[in-house]
Amino acid sequence: MAIRAAATSAPTARSSSALSLPPPISSSSSYSSAQLSFGRAKSTTRPRTTVGCAISCTMTREAAAVTSTEKDDSDPALWSRPDSFGRFGKFGGKYVPETLMYALTELESAFNSVKNDPDFQAKLGGILKDYVGRETPLYFAERLTDHYRRPNGEGPHIYLKREDLNHTGAHKINNAIGQVLLAKRLGKKRIIAETGAGQHGVATATVCARFGLECIIYMGAQDMERQSLNVFRMRLLGAEVRGVHSGTATLKDATSEAIRDWVTNVESTHYILGSVAGPHPYPMMVREFHKVIGEETRRQAMEKWGGKPDILVACVGGGSNAMGLFEDFVKDKDVRLIGVEAAGLGLDSGKHAATLTKGEVGVLHGAMSYLLQDDDGQIIEPHSISAGLDYPGVGPEHSFLKEKGRAEYYCVTDEEALEAFKRVSRLEGIIPALETSHALAYLEKLCPTLPDKTKVVLNCSGRGDKDVQTAIKYLKV
Amino acid sequence: MTSLFHFKTTAGHRHNYPQVVCPNHAVIGGNRHFKTSKSTVNPSVLRLNKYGTPAIDPPKERLEWVVDTKSPSTGKFGRFGGRFVAETLISALEELEVVFHHVLQDPEFQEELTTALKDYVGRETPLYYAERLTAHYKGQNLGRGPDIYIKREDLAHLGAHKMNNALAQAMIAKRMGLTAVIAATGAGQHGVATAAACAKFGLSCTIFMGTADMEKQPSSVDLMNLLGAKVRPTAGSFKDATSDSIRDWTEKLGEVYYLAGTAVGPHPCPTMVREFQSVIGRETRRQAAEKWGGTPDAVVACVGSGSNALGIFHEFVRDPTVRLIVVEAAGFGLNSGKHAATLAAGEVGVYHGAMSYLLQDEEGQIICPHSVGVGMEYPGVAPELSFLKETGRMEFYSASDEEAVEAYRRVARLEGILPALEASHAFAYLEKLCPTLPDGAKIIISCSGRGEKDTETVFNYPIS
Repeated sequence: MAIRAAATSAPTARSSSALSLPPPISSSSSYSSAQLSFGRAKSTTRPRTTVGCAISCTMTREAAAVTSTEKDDSDPALWSRPDSFGRFGKFGGKYVPETLMYALTELESAFNSVKNDPDFQAKLGGILKDYVGRETPLYFAERLTDHYRRPNGEGPHIYLKREDLNHTGAHKINNAIGQVLLAKRLGKKRIIAETGAGQHGVATATVCARFGLECIIYMGAQDMERQSLNVFRMRLLGAEVRGVHSGTATLKDATSEAIRDWVTNVESTHYILGSVAGPHPYPMMVREFHKVIGEETRRQAMEKWGGKPDILVACVGGGSNAMGLFEDFVKDKDVRLIGVEAAGLGLDSGKHAATLTKGEVGVLHGAMSYLLQDDDGQIIEPHSISAGLDYPGVGPEHSFLKEKGRAEYYCVTDEEALEAFKRVSRLEGIIPALETSHALAYLEKLCPTLPDKTKVVLNCSGRGDKDVQTAIKYLKV
Repeated sequence: MTSLFHFKTTAGHRHNYPQVVCPNHAVIGGNRHFKTSKSTVNPSVLRLNKYGTPAIDPPKERLEWVVDTKSPSTGKFGRFGGRFVAETLISALEELEVVFHHVLQDPEFQEELTTALKDYVGRETPLYYAERLTAHYKGQNLGRGPDIYIKREDLAHLGAHKMNNALAQAMIAKRMGLTAVIAATGAGQHGVATAAACAKFGLSCTIFMGTADMEKQPSSVDLMNLLGAKVRPTAGSFKDATSDSIRDWTEKLGEVYYLAGTAVGPHPCPTMVREFQSVIGRETRRQAAEKWGGTPDAVVACVGSGSNALGIFHEFVRDPTVRLIVVEAAGFGLNSGKHAATLAAGEVGVYHGAMSYLLQDEEGQIICPHSVGVGMEYPGVAPELSFLKETGRMEFYSASDEEAVEAYRRVARLEGILPALEASHAFAYLEKLCPTLPDGAKIIISCSGRGEKDTETVFNYPIS
């Protein structure tokens, strides 16, 4: 028996998706309305019949079409990440206004067509190499390793994946480049994005300047004041920065405003979402554009020590840098995946951003995932000293990996992150972003538990020049 | 204040090298202005190269001196360079030179350096085809113009080429058994790079910085502190910090390692810095061969003291088909007295231990330089560049503050790259250069650093 929600599945390998979609269905897309449709029609186009509220039995070829979770799913290689609805287990999905459904489907088709297009991949690869500066090194952090060496000389070996060396200083640009090339392919001339601290805004403005597209960035008015330097940068790069004054005038309000703009201008505009959150196909797409991080790591690990990493550690805000590192290794059950969130002023203080530890499942910005909400279902304003981790939700795939037990999630306070910031600067001469510092701080708890010569790869997701003022204030260096 | 180490040459200084009046120097936005040491030009020696500018092939043996690093030398580049220091420093410099030549031949050192450059600094940096910048200039000239490539030193760790040299020299310090490093910095880039390299190798680090510079670049000071270095303020600016640090070195010989940041100073510092920066040029040659199967037609770099320029030029010095172009800081204009255009407006003298061009007044006092790009504010210039100027191998031009800021904005808008204000001077010169070049000529610009540190300056700069 196959039950499908309405008009959400977009079969792969269809280039003229506009003409072959079923007509819009009047009932809203929810789990309860059952429609008959043949999903995952990769090989043939089967006739589509739309039936009113009736449930029918269908024989389908793919066992995976059955959405129940009764089959044995302990093998990560068999998980649908995502399935054709954009769901990772029960997480993910496409909880958006009807006007956006078509845009999302179009985006998904375009993405699927470029995934296997050698010209597109070659162009993307060339830009990542010459413009962004890939591949980024896998750096053996000798002094950090020494720092964690136990008195008997044993300890793990710590490697840093240097995403801080990318153009614009963070991993964010991998996704921005991929999405802007996709937008060009779709013939869009206008790009919008939201930003909190400004990093994603700067990355978006950068790629728009590079490819000559109009760029509008939505930023909370409060954030604009706190991050005026990033606002300057976006303007220098030719982007228009629009302040959002509604609500608390921060990231989540900027996101809502950006979505509103997209709904209005969907034909001409592409929305560059910065993380693996949001409605399908964004979590999958953003992960795929960041996947290069993990792929390079695998190759570099093989070169350096002839094996795989034992543990991967990354900070988690929305979750894009973590998914980028983890993705290639999810099916390797012998590789531990560890995500580190922000505990802010402490988990009990109420001022944190530890979504996976303290959150509950709900729908935010188009996807079902863990999020920080109060008893009335209102979003709790998160807090972290690092703006990039200051997001009340988390990517649905992380929620899925946590529920499956494939990945472990911990959290680290502002103070611990600041200590790590200073420690790594002094020991390695690398100034990590405060976001990354959360992952680095977790090493304090992790390393004593690890056997000798365990290979730990930590994603150094960004550089910390932007955080020096903040850190100096708190550390009184 | 007078440095211990400089004095003006007398007019009758004897030399064998033809003095070239460099008509290829053009003053942008000002009057034509030539300044050379007092001597005559022998017209029979002048001939024109393919661009119509005077070309003189320096005698082969002199070019060998420029490129030779295999054995100790007097450290002279023609009449420039040398070792004009107090006697106490001579033995330290000689020891340094011996160690330097030793590490150049030592495969273990070279392997460790290469790995560190790759994994820590992020080399090799890309040679990036600037599609929109190229189209911009072609569009102004009926679709014809050069192809512009950018050597992305801004992508190196800490955002400037300075790291290449700081890393190698920190390794030398370790090899010499020294645990303390001192250095002088102007804009702060070299100070930050040194502090990072010392952190990486566990060496203690003291950076001398002029108080005027500390005020202009407080973020650099914060970075150095964070990286564990001590910042020692000196009254004045970079030139005073350099003098102070050399003095400190003289006092603490055998205890500290003096990490030269740029290709100035007494021999072997200019050669060492150039050698460690020359990785830029070697990569560029290989990448150019991969991309279009040839060499560049012109290589353009900004010059403050000259390390990034020498780094990219060195590989191509012996290729007469490659034009070497430096762009200095004209500040408020060459006639304003507020600039840093040493090659254009300087005279030959000895400064910080080497003979080179420098900005000095009639009494031989150093003129305080000015540029919106703080890293350009050095009143001297690398002796090797003085030599390349005098032999006509290199062309030198200048760009004003305003032109540099405009170039910063242009490159930001067209390529999404924020070049350091220093590097922006090189980009500014494209405005004059591109219209003169044939269609499809290959230009490589050295983007020596990233410009996030300059965002506020540029944003607030009053453009008329």
